[in-house]
Amino acid sequence: MLADTWHLFNKYMRISIRMPLWSLFSLIQPLIWLIIFGQLFSNMANIPGFPTQNYTDFFLPGVIIMTVLFGSSWSGVSLLREITAGTVDKMLVSPVSRISIVLSRLLHSAAQVIVQVIIILIIAAFMGAQLNYSPVGILLALFAVLLLALSFAALSNGFAILLQREEPLVIIGNMMTLPLMFFSTALVPIAFMPEWIQYISVINPINYAVEAVRAVLVGEYDFAAFQKGILVLLVFTAATMFWAIRAFSALRD
Amino acid sequence: MIQIKGLTKIFSGGTKALDNLELSISEGEIFALLGPNGAGKTTTIRILSTLSGFDSGEVHVAGYDVDRDPNQVRCAIGVVAQQTGVDYFLTGRENLVLQGQLYRMKANEIQARIDELATYFDIAQALDRQVATYSGGMRRKLDIATALIHRPKLIFLDEPTLGLDIQSRRGLWSYIERMNQEFGLTILLTTHYLEEADQLSQRIAIINKGKIQTVGTPEELKSSISGDSLMLSFAEVDQKVGMFANQLKSQDFVKDTVWEGNNVYVYVSNGAASVPKIAELATAQNVTISTMSLAQPTLDDVFIKYTGTSIESTEEEGGDEWWKQWAGKGGGGKWSKKWQATSEDKDSSGDDKNTSEKSAGGDQAQQWPQNAEQWQDKQQAWNKEGESTEGSQQQWPQQKDKKPTEAETSKPESEKPKADSKAANENSQSWPNQEQWGGNQGEWQNKNWDQKQSWPGKGKDSQQK
Repeated sequence: MLADTWHLFNKYMRISIRMPLWSLFSLIQPLIWLIIFGQLFSNMANIPGFPTQNYTDFFLPGVIIMTVLFGSSWSGVSLLREITAGTVDKMLVSPVSRISIVLSRLLHSAAQVIVQVIIILIIAAFMGAQLNYSPVGILLALFAVLLLALSFAALSNGFAILLQREEPLVIIGNMMTLPLMFFSTALVPIAFMPEWIQYISVINPINYAVEAVRAVLVGEYDFAAFQKGILVLLVFTAATMFWAIRAFSALRD
Repeated sequence: MIQIKGLTKIFSGGTKALDNLELSISEGEIFALLGPNGAGKTTTIRILSTLSGFDSGEVHVAGYDVDRDPNQVRCAIGVVAQQTGVDYFLTGRENLVLQGQLYRMKANEIQARIDELATYFDIAQALDRQVATYSGGMRRKLDIATALIHRPKLIFLDEPTLGLDIQSRRGLWSYIERMNQEFGLTILLTTHYLEEADQLSQRIAIINKGKIQTVGTPEELKSSISGDSLMLSFAEVDQKVGMFANQLKSQDFVKDTVWEGNNVYVYVSNGAASVPKIAELATAQNVTISTMSLAQPTLDDVFIKYTGTSIESTEEEGGDEWWKQWAGKGGGGKWSKKWQATSEDKDSSGDDKNTSEKSAGGDQAQQWPQNAEQWQDKQQAWNKEGESTEGSQQQWPQQKDKKPTEAETSKPESEKPKADSKAANENSQSWPNQEQWGGNQGEWQNKNWDQKQSWPGKGKDSQQK
C-alpha cells in the first residue's frame, strides 16, 4: 500500500512539476487578499486591545490558511476529471490498493499547498511582516497546514464522489471555505466578533488551524494554543480522510 | 477463460442492464460482443474487469470468481476501456512505468517489457513525448500497451477502434490479430461496428437488451441467413417507386423488400438470377433504376435478424451512471443523429409513403433507416473488396460515379452524414489506386516529424534519419 501510494503520488507530483504555473494559480487569490486586506484593515491595529502592532502580522496566519483552503478544496474537481478521462478506471482494474489512490491524491494536494505556503511566507517576509521565522515555528506551522490541507482535500474528494458533478462541487467548495473563513479569527481577533460568531468559531475547524498557526508564527510561542489546535485538527483530518476513503472504496456501480 | 452464468445486473434506476446473461469464452479466442449502444456490452466488460458489481449470477474470469477474488482477476486481465486511460500529461514511457509499478513489477522487468511493447506497437520513437502530442491511433496503441505490461492472459477491449480513422482502425486490427496469434492472448472485444466483429473475431455473440441473442462464428451467423440482398437506387422519389417496390414484394423470387427514400432493398434467394427479372419488371413498369447492386448477406443482416430492433431504439448505455452516459456518446450520437435525419425525411414526404410503409410490414418499417445505414456500409465494403477480388461481385459500371451524390442526397441535412459521404467518396474513388492513402501517410509522418522537432533534444535525431 505504501509503495502504491508513493508511485501514484510521484505521478501526480510529476504532472504538477511539469505545469508549475498551474499549481501556483490558486496562490493568486490569497496574495490579493494579503495585499488588499492588509491595506484595508491596517488601521485596525490602532484599536485598543488588538493583539499585534501591525495588522499584516495578525492577518498572515489567516492568509496562510486561506491558501490551504483555496489550494486543497479543488482536489475533488481533478478527481472527477480523472474519472471521466478513464484514468481512475485504469487504476481500479489494477490490483493497486484503493486506499492508496485516495491517499496519493490527498498527499499531492497537501504537498502543493505546502509549497504555496512557503512562497507566501517568503513574500510576507519581503513585505516586512514581523513573524517568528524560526525553523521550529515554521515547521510546526507547516504541520498544521498539512493536516488542514489533507482534511479539506479529503472533503473535496469525498464530495466529488458523492455529487459526481463539477458544478455543485465548486459551489460546495466555495461554501466550505469562505464563510468558515469569516467565522474564524483569520481576519479579526475573537474579541472583536459578535457573540454568535464566537460560538460558531468554537466548532469551526478552520478557526483551530488559524489559531495553531498564529500560536507558533506570531508573537510569543503559545504551545498550549498550538496543541489544542493540532488536536482538533488531527481528529478532523482523521475523520474526513476516513470518510473520503470509504466513499472512494464504494465507487463501484 | 471466462464463464458467465445467469448474470443479472439492475441499475439503481430499475433498468435491467443485463438479464440472465450466459457466456463462455475459451482460452486463445478472439471473441466479439456485438450490439447496439445500451445493449450491455460495456456493463459486461465492467463486471468482468471487477469495476462493477452485479445483482445475481456467477462470473469466473481466468479461473477466479470476480466477486470473491477480485485482486486475482485484476492481475490476470488487461483492460482497455472506451476512454483512453493513459495520462495525457505524462510521457508514454512514464505511463507504462507507472502501470508496471501498479502491478508490482520489478524495475528491470518493467524496462524490458517496455522495450518489448514499444517495438511491438511501433511507438518506441514517441515514448518520451507527452501523450497529449500523440495521435488518436498512437494513444490507443499506448493504451493497449499499458494494458499488456503485466503479461495478462486475457485482455478486454471495449470499443477499441471507436473514433479512429479507417487507416488506424485497420492497423489496430492487425495488432489485435497478432496479439492473439503470437502471444496466445485471449481477447474479448466489444464493438458496434459489424465489419470489425466480422473481420477480427473467431466467435461473435450478438447482445441486445442485456441478453445474448446468438453465438457463433461469423460464417455460421451469416449462413443462418440464406440468399442475397440487392439494392436498387432511383433517380427520383415518387409514387411509382413505391408501387414498384410493392410489386417486387409480391414476386415469387423476392423474399422481402424495403423502400427507403430513393432506394429499394430487395432480399432474394438467388441474386444473380433475380437481376434480369427485376430489370424486366422495371421496364414493364416504366421506372428507371439508376443503380443496382448485389451482395452476399453480411453480419448487418444477421444483426437485424437477431436484435429485431434498430440500433437507434436503444440509446446510451447505463442511464443513471453519468460516466457511462458520457462514454456512450461516441457511438450513440452518430446513430441518433441519423435516425433524426431519416425520420424527419419520412415525416415530410407525406401520404404516398405511408401506404408503402404498410406494405413493407409494420416491424420492417422501423428498420428502414438502419437498413439504409447498413447498405451504405455494405457498399463501402464491396468497393474495398473490389480491390482484391474483382469480379466476385456484380457491380454496375455507373455505381462508382453515382455513389457520392447518392450518399449526399439520401442524407442531406445533418452534418454527420457529410463525413460519411466523404468516406464513401474516398472509398469509391480512390480505393483501387492506394495513392490517396499513401499521401495521407506521408502527411502523417510529416506531422510526426514536426512534433519531434519541437522537442529540442530529439529533433536532430529524426532529421538525420
